[in-house]
Amino acid sequence: MIECLTRDSICEITLNRPEKRNALTPEMLAELASHAEALARSEAHAAVVAAEGPAFCAGFDLSYCRGPEGPRVMRAFLADLSRTIVAFRAAPMPIVMTVQGPALAGGCALLGGADVVVASRNATFGYPVVRLGVSPAVSAPFLRQSVGDGPCRARLLDPGPIDAERAHDLGLVHELCEDAAQAEAKADAIARALWAKPRGGIAATKRWLNEFTDPGDTAAAALDVSTSLTDGDETRAMLEAFFQTRDP
Amino acid sequence: MTTDHATLTIDGPVARLALNRPEQRNALSVELLDGLHARVEELEAAPGVKVTVVTGAGRAFCAGMDLKQVVIAESGDPELPHRLLSSLGRLTLRLRALPSVVVARVNGAAIGGGCGLACVCDIAVTHGDAKLGFPEVDLGLCPAVVAPVLVRKIGPGQARRVLLSGGVMDGHHAHTLGIVDEVSDSRESLDETTDAIVGRLAAGGADALAATKSLVNRLDGSLDASVVERGARLSADVLATAEAQAILAARLEK
Repeated sequence: MIECLTRDSICEITLNRPEKRNALTPEMLAELASHAEALARSEAHAAVVAAEGPAFCAGFDLSYCRGPEGPRVMRAFLADLSRTIVAFRAAPMPIVMTVQGPALAGGCALLGGADVVVASRNATFGYPVVRLGVSPAVSAPFLRQSVGDGPCRARLLDPGPIDAERAHDLGLVHELCEDAAQAEAKADAIARALWAKPRGGIAATKRWLNEFTDPGDTAAAALDVSTSLTDGDETRAMLEAFFQTRDP
Repeated sequence: MTTDHATLTIDGPVARLALNRPEQRNALSVELLDGLHARVEELEAAPGVKVTVVTGAGRAFCAGMDLKQVVIAESGDPELPHRLLSSLGRLTLRLRALPSVVVARVNGAAIGGGCGLACVCDIAVTHGDAKLGFPEVDLGLCPAVVAPVLVRKIGPGQARRVLLSGGVMDGHHAHTLGIVDEVSDSRESLDETTDAIVGRLAAGGADALAATKSLVNRLDGSLDASVVERGARLSADVLATAEAQAILAARLEK
């Protein structure tokens, strides 16, 4: 459900579970994290992360969080999400993400690993997870770097989504395109332009940006905040209520 | 009060500091930077200056590093690029530390270190046709001295995109990204736009302006000398690589 191939020195990573709006299964997210980590050893000059179908990514597939193993699965989801974002940031080549539809919850958090975000106008962004008793804190250290502290606060606490134009105004999206086809073409053009540049300067520049904008301990602290809730009664009750409404 | 490569004039509360090497598009050489340091030292001692306008003589604001001084085969001095970058880094700290509000009047091209110089000013003004940007990665270089300056100006997310993408943009796009704070439609109307800002600033209280600038410096870490030193070293190390030297030498040939 994750495709990864490197063509012409551009690594293409694709979320491919369109029938479930690319909701991440535990296996799928672990695979995505491994691909992100493998970029550290890759010769690719750029990586493009994209998704099949009308949605970019609906976040975790919560059906895996039912039952007694639920909290453990949720913790694994959160740890792998954090691991994925950190690995994309640490990768020596620029990461371009193509958001051609809704990017919600964990799907929006993935953008924390992007150096360039291209989106189509129909894309939406947000963290509707506090309604499920889940904290999107894991995203915070990266989201605040792209949109600033005020909008970061609003987006993490308000479960409502924002549209692509607003996301562009805030700086979460760098390139706004009319539709999914144009977004794909734009991301491809950006990746090709990056491909043509000398690798040494880009890798040094990305490493330097990482070094002096390093969120430091806050990335681990943010993961702890999200993880700390998973065993709580509130999360259990709200998730159970969610499963009842969805699947009575 | 002039030297060859940097000029300073003070008229009441408003000082004007110009890069004055128009035949080289005000490219940053050791001599030009020495001149700027000397003029800033005069400014540090000048009482009553509330606003300092930084601009470039001729059509360009600043074309970036002087190619002749960063191609080691040309200069014959492998330590020269580090001296140049380190001098630029120290200049950015000094401009931030000045009590007067520093306004960049970006009259034309502001490229690489030149765009960094514009960004380290407290307020930057340009016109729609000016070309601004950070094409360092196109040349195999790492803009490590100016990266922290740009991050403080437009935030880490946008800075990441701009610095990793390279290239240049026009004044309007630079305004949209926040690289400049105001943009006039044409080169001809740049002075009008700049003068309006300078007039507003000069109407402020000198102590209030200085105290506010000093607070913002503290909040955003502008006076952190260690990041500037590490940036200059890193930038010089990348510049000395065979890949970068070959690209720069080819550029110089043209």
